Amino acid sequence: MFPVNTQDLSPDVPNLKPFMASDLYHRRMANSKAGGLKYLQYGVVGSMSLNNMLCTRCCEGFEPNEKIVNSAGELWHQECFVCAQCFQVFKDGIFFEFEGRKYCEHDFHVLFAPCCGKCGEFVIGRVIKAMNANWHPGCFRCENCHTELADLGFIKNGGRALCHECNAKLKAEGLGKYVCYKCHGIIDDQPLKFRGEVYHPYHFNCTQCGIELDENAREVRSRPGFAANDMNELYCLRCHDKMGIPICGACRRPIEERVVTALGKHWHVEHFVCAKCEKPFFGHRHYEKKGLAYCEIHYHQLFGNLCFVCNQVIAGDAFTSLNKAWCHHHFACSMCDQKMNQKTKFYEFDLKPVCKKCYEKFPNELRRRLGKQHAAQQRT
Amino acid sequence: MSAEGQVVSCIPNTSKMSKAKKVLEEAREIQNPELDLADKGIASFEELPGLLNMMNITRLTLSHNKIKVVPPALANLTNLEILNLANNNIEELPLSLSSMPKLRILNLSINRLYSLPRGFGAFPILEVLDLTYNNLNEKTLSGNFFQLETLRALYLGDNDFEYISDEIKNLKNLQILVLRENDIIELPKEIGELVRLRELHLQGNRLTLLPPEIGNLEVTNKSVFKFEGNDWVTPIADQLQLGVSHLMDFLKSETYRILYGRYQQNKPQVPPPCIDKAKKASRIR
Repeated sequence: MFPVNTQDLSPDVPNLKPFMASDLYHRRMANSKAGGLKYLQYGVVGSMSLNNMLCTRCCEGFEPNEKIVNSAGELWHQECFVCAQCFQVFKDGIFFEFEGRKYCEHDFHVLFAPCCGKCGEFVIGRVIKAMNANWHPGCFRCENCHTELADLGFIKNGGRALCHECNAKLKAEGLGKYVCYKCHGIIDDQPLKFRGEVYHPYHFNCTQCGIELDENAREVRSRPGFAANDMNELYCLRCHDKMGIPICGACRRPIEERVVTALGKHWHVEHFVCAKCEKPFFGHRHYEKKGLAYCEIHYHQLFGNLCFVCNQVIAGDAFTSLNKAWCHHHFACSMCDQKMNQKTKFYEFDLKPVCKKCYEKFPNELRRRLGKQHAAQQRT
Repeated sequence: MSAEGQVVSCIPNTSKMSKAKKVLEEAREIQNPELDLADKGIASFEELPGLLNMMNITRLTLSHNKIKVVPPALANLTNLEILNLANNNIEELPLSLSSMPKLRILNLSINRLYSLPRGFGAFPILEVLDLTYNNLNEKTLSGNFFQLETLRALYLGDNDFEYISDEIKNLKNLQILVLRENDIIELPKEIGELVRLRELHLQGNRLTLLPPEIGNLEVTNKSVFKFEGNDWVTPIADQLQLGVSHLMDFLKSETYRILYGRYQQNKPQVPPPCIDKAKKASRIR
């Protein structure tokens, strides 16, 4: 008795394509993570004695004329060579092996193949693993513009997969915007500042009238003496106005301590400052010009009323000329220091006043030059 | 002509000399702290007996005289706030001058100074320094000159500067800077750091370019910038035609920044000196 070639003995065993040609083979080869799987094919029983041949599944021997299945050196009764799940013969002879068991294509998919996170179908072919799920390449798309992401790559943005472009767009939109401390959403309109954090105003109601608040709501320290962030409450603008708390003209916040009233507005003491040096006046005298307040020094520096000689604020009448100002008694010739008055005629030399007598004592060379320049200036 | 002039100066001008003494005596009598001794024909401090003991004076005006030497003892007048030595023949100054504790205004214009004494920058509260019409340049200023932090006006017109030290930025309080008619070839960009500057006289120099930082200076109705009489590169000259504010805006622009960078690679030719300084009266003959 000689063992027979299974292929010869089983005319009803279908003629198979080489399994390397199958889609599944390519898929599994492409996916190295699906290790432990083997692709097998019916083989031929080699020359061995029928006596010591046993079926791999039921461990019984074979009848002399029985068709024997040979798969990678393992022998099977034809009725034993079936799917481990549905006990059906493998359709087209194609099976999948997983952890030593063989499955038909359908059951293998059911048991082990990934399901697409979007359409719920098995993913055959290329599997996209992303966002903790599996996807068909055609199902994994940007949640904003719906372009396929499989080959473009993607960026996780707040639990959403976005293409680079959409991500950049959304990021730019969110830039410079506040994030609500309560719901963590981006605040598109004006935020409401409360106890040092920013919120969507609609998370709050007026302490007085209960109306839903908008960005004009006011934070009021309910009990004096408590730190700013401890005991504050929110009021709508109407209720706040009824409370009669003055608003600072600089920071637009209510003033709860000392109020300075100047320039027709109210100010926090520390917010009423010189328009030039920005130092608070703290009760010192201020000077008003064109709706702005200045400290004494900067008022005179800007509006030209420091005496060129004594560098002091000019009390009383000032002489202004040559881009400078002088006290009444300091207006003098820069060469001989002789006092001058409105009627005194003087020459200009580097924007300094020079009396006629002194000018005539200038070196001739210099006088000639100045004369020429003066004439040139007259012409232009 | 010149012979006649020499003859006059050889004969002591008794009428003027006595006037000087009279002024001194009068001032002592009425304790006048301001001394006017302008145009009294004074050639030396020796003609002013007792002056250096008048500790109370706050102003001393000696302009239009013939003084050649300033005695170190002048610094003993510790209450002096204003010292006016304009239009004399001073060639050298004593080292002691810069220790004068109350001096605020010092006028040394129209003299013959070729250098300043060592430590000249040590004046504690000097506010106005007039060195117009002398023979000074960047090499002959004292090493600590730019320590004069309290200075609000610096007059250096009609001197021989070719460059200005970048240390000028230390003169934080400077409101007036006159560099008219020197030989300045290039300005340091640090002038742009003089935030309080409101008068800048640059006429009659050898400038071709301005550092873009000059554009940082504030242009207000209180500021005066004089740029005429330089050999400006065409873009600057064109803007200047339109007006100073146009030029200042242009200096601030990106265009000029790039242009300036290019000119730095390929500097315009330095123009020749524009005036014949040998004729200056400040030169020693």
